[in-house]
Amino acid sequence: MKADTPDEDAALLARYAAGDAAAAGLLATRLTPLMYGHALRVLGDGAEAQDVAQEALMRLWKIAPQWRAGEAKVSTWIYRVVANLCTDLLRKRRTTPLDDVAEPADPAPSAAAQMQQAARVDALQAALAVLPDRQRQAVVLRHIDGLANPEIASILGVGVEAVESLTARGKRALTAALADQKEALGYQDDNG
Amino acid sequence: MTTDKDHNNDAELEALFQAARSTPPQVPDALLARVQADALAQQPRRRRNLWEAFVNATGGVPAVCGLATAACVGLWIGIAPPDVMPDLGGIVLGVETTTEDETAAFGWDIEEG
Repeated sequence: MKADTPDEDAALLARYAAGDAAAAGLLATRLTPLMYGHALRVLGDGAEAQDVAQEALMRLWKIAPQWRAGEAKVSTWIYRVVANLCTDLLRKRRTTPLDDVAEPADPAPSAAAQMQQAARVDALQAALAVLPDRQRQAVVLRHIDGLANPEIASILGVGVEAVESLTARGKRALTAALADQKEALGYQDDNG
Repeated sequence: MTTDKDHNNDAELEALFQAARSTPPQVPDALLARVQADALAQQPRRRRNLWEAFVNATGGVPAVCGLATAACVGLWIGIAPPDVMPDLGGIVLGVETTTEDETAAFGWDIEEG
């Protein structure tokens, strides 16, 4: 899924800032699924993804009167906000004491059972979870959100070569994580 | 060098990405409602220019048209009041104005008489 063209988002944002109530609804309908979807893929948690999407859009509403058309794409700007919010949450998770984390119920057998019953999308999500944060963000932006490398570089605040490296390493790690799950995903049957 | 195994892995991974792209997560209705409520709450008030503010303050376009018509008629009557109307200007200013019948100056009345 690709983000909408920047001109349309910027035009809608200008209309929103001028007091057009219809533009508010249109922008929310266009951007919320993109931001929620990205946050969900990166965080793997629906409640957190909702919070991130709402907060990112709230920042967009607040900055709308000062928005300077032509300086940045609206979609790039809000993806960057979402990426930063996700990074903050992921860091916070790592610093949260283990005692505060809910104990998963019997993880080993349930994970295997889940993989056997899950669709390929769920398997991909499970594999994404094992990637380092930056690799996961880059892979999601490139291969699921469908953004170009220069835009991803702007969102993540790194160079284009770094993005290429992150996505390449991310794909290799995904392949390794999925290697043991090929039968569960049905690839054994597909390949004969 | 790319091996057949690498090629298969890439194809399988791309199939997973394709599946993910074609089935984006459903946005919860409550989230969309909250975002739209935020948008409306944060939206700047529509800015109106002075003319628009004047028109609204006087009751809208029809009222402004009526006001303009009344102003024009008042100006016209003030400059050239009909004969049936009293000379309000003279009354207010305390000045009596008279008009001479110009035809008399040329003696038309004498010729006809």
